[in-house]
Amino acid sequence: MTRLGRRVVITGMGAISALGHTARETWTAMREGRVGIAPIGNIPTERLLVGIAAEVRGYDPAAHFDARRLPLLDRVSQFALHAAREAVAHSGLDFRAGDLGERTACIIGTGVGGENSHNEQARRFYGENNPRVHPLSILRVMANAPACHVGIEFGLKGPAFTVASACASANHAMSQAFEMVRSGRADLAVTGGAEACVTVPTMKAWEAMRVMADDTCRPFCRQRRGMVLGEGAGMFVFEEFARARRRGATILAEFAGSGATADAADMVFPSETTVARAMSQALADAGLNPSDVGYINAHGTATAANDAIETRAIHRAFGPYADQVAVSSTKSMHGHALGAAGAVELVAAIGALRERVIPPTMNFLDSDPECDLDYVPNVAREKAVRAVLSNSFAFGGLNCVVALKGA
Amino acid sequence: MAARLENPLSATDESTLQDVIFGIIAKEANIDRSRISVDSTLKDLGVSSLDAAVIIFEIGDRFDVTMPDHDANFDIGTAGGLVAAVAKLLAEKPGAT
Repeated sequence: MTRLGRRVVITGMGAISALGHTARETWTAMREGRVGIAPIGNIPTERLLVGIAAEVRGYDPAAHFDARRLPLLDRVSQFALHAAREAVAHSGLDFRAGDLGERTACIIGTGVGGENSHNEQARRFYGENNPRVHPLSILRVMANAPACHVGIEFGLKGPAFTVASACASANHAMSQAFEMVRSGRADLAVTGGAEACVTVPTMKAWEAMRVMADDTCRPFCRQRRGMVLGEGAGMFVFEEFARARRRGATILAEFAGSGATADAADMVFPSETTVARAMSQALADAGLNPSDVGYINAHGTATAANDAIETRAIHRAFGPYADQVAVSSTKSMHGHALGAAGAVELVAAIGALRERVIPPTMNFLDSDPECDLDYVPNVAREKAVRAVLSNSFAFGGLNCVVALKGA
Repeated sequence: MAARLENPLSATDESTLQDVIFGIIAKEANIDRSRISVDSTLKDLGVSSLDAAVIIFEIGDRFDVTMPDHDANFDIGTAGGLVAAVAKLLAEKPGAT
């Protein structure tokens, strides 16, 4: 038992991203510094100003879902299911055995939900002037659909819902799942984040904000030009520690704590003090000192504002230890997957703990005086770490930081 | 999703129409086509309410007609009723012969 309840460990992991269709492929690419950002191939680009994204490539829905089920599944739900299947198989659990399903929560983050279906039906209705909208549209578009489908697939009958907080959705969702298992409200959870946001209208909307890079994603360096949109999902099985140990499960990491704060100030400009407070809260919640943390998977979007303020916030939260912690943004490889970001990045956090390798910040050119931490530029680094933070900060000033400890 | 016919009016012949509509019902409800007769209700065929909505959508999309929802002049509870409803809507379309 911790101060606040039971210990929670991660016993299954799955992912799909621009770096691969499994968590293993995604992590291997991260540690090798492979960049998944490329010219857009899945959608028409004639009307786009920005022609790059970190898309999931080589993915055939029909290879994973039968023809009867596929009409109900927006791409975001497909990604959630795909990653959840890997995570559940990895955990070795059968949630339909006994009352396991009743004891399992299913909490999934997504920023925009069924964007592809929404876009497709809007195009038919407005673009083609077709008066008929597909009758499964509501079921495909609704933001809770990924959580429903994952629950149906595995028979999860505990608390289930979607958490939406834009770019922090996955971290907020996983923190909620963590709280449930810690408090005893559930014994297990299938949790993570999913996003399938690379559509023409979404790209246009991001372009209009003028925060998108047109070359690549270069977090924390002087030549950074903004974010690059990504997509995918990360899913995990959280389990109460004593239960996991009893059944001899492979424990990937301990989900040790989380911190969540809101700037309550500006819709886009982050607050150094509130972001720092989320990190300090996560440390305190996990019973960690700054000196215990060897790696921070940064939010690191590569916008001018985020990277400078996140750097200052790390200084504020870590004090003299800020210079000793390795900080990297894996968004330089898998792009910014919005509501899935924290989940794909948890794969990096777990990989760093288990394999003693810090994934790099790729595409790094010259240092920026405003960003003066150790960003592990361009090449992964061998380093044993016993605790990791993973940061996610959303538009609207919603911050969520999670803390992991090695198993 | 079925592609729309190039010229939907060419399918106004009832037997062709029936053929296409029964085909859509069989495909969307995942049932053997030989089970469907003009008197079959979607309920008899074990079609769920969600599948029925998809069937009505696919038929509408195929023939570019919009099936009324609450209209006593249309009985779309049976397979034959669906065929008759589409024939009626096609006949009422501007430009229909």
